[in-house]
Amino acid sequence: MALLGRLDWYNLARTTNWTPGYVTEDELFPPEMSGSMGIPLSGWEGYDEPYKQTYPEYVKVQREKDAGAYSVKAALERSDIYEKSDPGWQSVLKLHYGAFPRAEYSASTAEARMARFGKAPGMRNMATMGMLDEMRHAQLQLYFPHELCPKDRQFDWAHKSYDTNHWAIVAARHLFDDMMVTRGASEVALGLTFAFETGFTNMQFLGLAADAAEVGDWSFSNMISSIQTDESRHAQIGGPLVGILLANGKKQEAQRIVDMMIWRAWKLFAAVTGAAMDYFTPVADRKMSFKEFMLEWIVSQFERALLDLGLDKPWYWDQLVADLDHASHAMQMGFWFWRPIMWWNNPAGVTAEDRAWLEEKYPGWSETFGTVWDVITDNLLEGKKGLTYPETLPMLCNMCQLPIASAPGPAWKVRDFPLEYKGRSYHFCSEACQWCFEQEPERYKGHLSLIDRFLAGMIQPPTLEGALNYMSLYPGERGDDAHNYAWVEKIRAARQKAAA
Amino acid sequence: MSDISQSHINNKVGPVMRQGDLAKAVSEAAEIDNPGKTITVEDKLAYLRIQTDGEMFLQRQTIEEMLGRPFSMNELEVDRIAQIGRSRAS
Repeated sequence: MALLGRLDWYNLARTTNWTPGYVTEDELFPPEMSGSMGIPLSGWEGYDEPYKQTYPEYVKVQREKDAGAYSVKAALERSDIYEKSDPGWQSVLKLHYGAFPRAEYSASTAEARMARFGKAPGMRNMATMGMLDEMRHAQLQLYFPHELCPKDRQFDWAHKSYDTNHWAIVAARHLFDDMMVTRGASEVALGLTFAFETGFTNMQFLGLAADAAEVGDWSFSNMISSIQTDESRHAQIGGPLVGILLANGKKQEAQRIVDMMIWRAWKLFAAVTGAAMDYFTPVADRKMSFKEFMLEWIVSQFERALLDLGLDKPWYWDQLVADLDHASHAMQMGFWFWRPIMWWNNPAGVTAEDRAWLEEKYPGWSETFGTVWDVITDNLLEGKKGLTYPETLPMLCNMCQLPIASAPGPAWKVRDFPLEYKGRSYHFCSEACQWCFEQEPERYKGHLSLIDRFLAGMIQPPTLEGALNYMSLYPGERGDDAHNYAWVEKIRAARQKAAA
Repeated sequence: MSDISQSHINNKVGPVMRQGDLAKAVSEAAEIDNPGKTITVEDKLAYLRIQTDGEMFLQRQTIEEMLGRPFSMNELEVDRIAQIGRSRAS
């Protein structure tokens, strides 16, 4: 019997739309779950996924990927790569594992939404595999750090983080619940697969893989880039959807979700990936700056993909590009200053070599962020460590839940964007975060930032200790300077040598 | 990059592959299957960015020859971490 080639039967086999006889179309695909925007089933038949894969092919390829990731881990397990790596790199791992693994289960839920409620058969097929991908990502990223738990208790946060009210996790959940868990299939496809996965996951899962390779952490490099091979497949769910929406006059709706989620993803990644690339990774191993990775993956590549599909550049694009110069530095400074409330030990990253690198990659750094680090450095040199700890809490944005921050120095640019809505005051870090809120104020109005909770008396006692306990950060997990201030002594020695 | 606002105006296409045998085979196949075109391969240690302008052809047989073993096109995914431009299989 002659066998047909896959391309000869794939479209027919996955065309599983039918005319429901016992229920209405809206009962089978409730509009709020499918995000169908009034487009009938027939309008979805033209969805043509660029990536055609059958389930047996999926299993075969995934098996090979897993064999690769797990065998590299097994081969390197008894090496002492972790112990020998710089504490800054160890903090990259802690930050990554606390921030992402459990969110992958939310992503799996999001894929499941598309697999069941997507009106396009091709979307359902791709999302079925995407759903399995995301489970793989959660399990890989929980299994890999598990071996590190006995070496350092902070790795417990790989599994624990999302069960806590840690400020950074409140920020991550606010985004991921919004983007992945609580929207219809079309909005998930636009926000998660298109805006987030074709764009921003590359920053963390490829950019950081490049840094990991430089550091020599092949186990981590190999594992996260293996994850990105899944992403690059199921991220293609969103593209053909944009075509359907545009053909049915829904460009405005598509653009709105894409704009919201690009901005929201940008804010989170500037904090997590930005600090990891520009400060945590030892300066000798930094492949490129966060800004350079953003230019490679987001500006020259993702922006072009956006236009190629018929969408427009987000209205705030110039602001985003301008923010590339300071976002990672502002977040890093906050991480270090408020170091007791991190589940990782934050490196300062301001030795002479670091500073030279920062000034080269971000001209003007010394005149802005550098001046603040000068004060911190002097205080530490003079034994006034107490002055380098915070006495107040940072003001958090009511959309991204991250500190309201910008570049310090003579041209002080920090600005609050306040808004009154139904008797409550909200504060935003940027015009775009305020715009996101105003798109769906009823959706967001009830959320309390950690500062709102503090002011409402929900955090007791209202002290640092009370806040640490509220965030489930227990002794042994709380952050401090990653290098135990050894960098200060290096600066002292250099200054003494120069003076002598 | 001197002008950020212009950097998206490019017409580069091609796969980004994790470092390894397959990535090398694909970059070699890109040279063979696209005669007369300039193929650029940026080595980022963890990954290779294999690109050309406009359109890039990749044939299964060529990749097979470069790898020295049987290969089916969907195995590209094992190491493909991004696809720049739109892809079509035939």
